Amino acid sequence: MIRDVDVAVIGGGSAGLAAAVMAARQGARVMLFERQGFLGGMGTASLVHTFCGLYLLKSGPVAELANPGFPSEMAERMMASTGLGPIRMGRLDVLPQHPVDFVRIADELVKAESSLVVQWHTEVIGVRKNQGRWEIDWSCRGSLGKASTTVIVDASGDAVTAPWIGAAHEVAPRLQRPAYVFGIQGVKAFPDERRLQLAGMLVEGIRTGVLSKAALGLSFRPSGRPGELFGTLDLAGEEGGSIYDPLDPVGLSALEAEGRRVASGALACLREMAPEWSAAFISQWPARAGIRESRRWVGRACLTGAQIEAGTRFADEIGLATWPMEHRENVRGPKWHFPVEDRPTGIPLDCLRIPDHDNLFVAGRCISVDHEAQASIRVMGTCFVTGEAAGVAAAIKAGGGDPTASAVRRIPGHGNFSQAL
Amino acid sequence: MSREVDGIEVIGWLRSEEILMLEEGFTVGDDLFQAGLDSMAVMQLVVAAEEQFGVQLQAGDLTKENLTTAESLATLIRERRT
Ligand SMILES: Cc1cc2nc3c(=O)[nH]c(=O)nc-3n(C[C@H](O)[C@H](O)[C@H](O)COP(=O)(O)OP(=O)(O)OC[C@H]3O[C@@H](n4cnc5c(N)ncnc54)[C@H](O)[C@@H]3O)c2cc1C
Repeated sequence: MIRDVDVAVIGGGSAGLAAAVMAARQGARVMLFERQGFLGGMGTASLVHTFCGLYLLKSGPVAELANPGFPSEMAERMMASTGLGPIRMGRLDVLPQHPVDFVRIADELVKAESSLVVQWHTEVIGVRKNQGRWEIDWSCRGSLGKASTTVIVDASGDAVTAPWIGAAHEVAPRLQRPAYVFGIQGVKAFPDERRLQLAGMLVEGIRTGVLSKAALGLSFRPSGRPGELFGTLDLAGEEGGSIYDPLDPVGLSALEAEGRRVASGALACLREMAPEWSAAFISQWPARAGIRESRRWVGRACLTGAQIEAGTRFADEIGLATWPMEHRENVRGPKWHFPVEDRPTGIPLDCLRIPDHDNLFVAGRCISVDHEAQASIRVMGTCFVTGEAAGVAAAIKAGGGDPTASAVRRIPGHGNFSQAL
Repeated sequence: MSREVDGIEVIGWLRSEEILMLEEGFTVGDDLFQAGLDSMAVMQLVVAAEEQFGVQLQAGDLTKENLTTAESLATLIRERRT
């Protein structure tokens, strides 16, 4: 049976969740395809545990939400679920989020929409155009199926649809590096001051040959739950001996194995050396290593790093990017690039649209931007913004309307974002 | 290597090793933690200090006090060198 819908969303990460829920709230019949058994993407499957990009950049003391609508709703729901508010880091405000809460919140959001069907454990494996509509091929546990849709939103993170339909796409020559995030329990105390000494112990482990040098990319953060930490291991992605390629199965496999190997070694080392870690254990592996950047769409417009640096605003903007450009091109920690006067940048609707196809929108970390701008717009707070706009635009288009930026902004619960400026 | 390490040299070294992006005008008394020194940067610092200055900093050396400024870091490196 071929299922017929108005909007098909490929990928249920933070962008796809926003797109599917917001398209359904406009009354569209929506189908969301996700190959995992839960939503959230990097924010759940890869255990990325803070929402960045939700708040305006500023030196004032109070965190101020940058975008109303879905991003603000997610912030509220997450705060209600974890009981934690935003944390100030220098000029940046971030909201701690827990992957377990994120999965459940996403469940509640999709359940509330009667016109939204989520198809989990389903990988979209092909897309083609047929008489103006899209035909989608999917695969689930040995079954192959088809769907037909008026509009597609590609929120796959990897712009998977682009090569299938022969659309322009690119992969930057020097990509942001991946990381492996894992859960830890059984640590008796984790005072701030102790982090430095733990770092020293890891170096000691490297000196004595117990640990590989890759452990230099490791840092820890409390999860917000009693006794639980997350370890984040920044990797070069070249540990397997080949050039980092997040779209290559061999390289991806090496990344997963290396992440687990280094994490296990580091834990063993700390159990020996730090008394309060003597009973510590790894309590959770991610479903997949964290990928910051891979294939991107080349759309009708391309937001650049220079525009983010200047805090450029656009007539057709659909929301604001507020996270500074956070480069992670090596495993030596972030290199920050802040916009002048901490300005927010508008995200043009044309970065979510592609040439030649009016009925396809893109959202999330693979929208049409350059490598520098991607270092800002990839964060989840901004993925909610682009996901929401893509979902609303897709619903307008499927209903026969003209999805202009002002039409997208006029949607209730979305329309007053300029008040935040 | 006979010359004593001082705070100015430490600032130049932190910059050239890309352990920290220190703004122009950063002084030997300014706070390195506020400039972004975190546990990951500290690991790189320890490895790089071994290569550059021939000192093996130990976990016990890595206190907030010792690492707060380029000045205090230079003192630590001098002490561990002897
Ligand atoms: C290590 C690391 C640390 C980070 N730190 C932060 C941070 O602190 N704060 C922050 O806000 N952001 C952070 N980010 C960035 C952020 O997590 C991601 O950029 C963001 O989550 C991307 O969301 P997305 O929806 O665009 O894509 P993804 O989260 O990658 O979601 C894409 C989804 O699509 C699914 N999918 C893909 N192809 C198909 C297909 N063919 N069929 C079916 N399903 C498919 C995938 O399974 C996935 O669920 C970090 C990223 C990494 C890797």
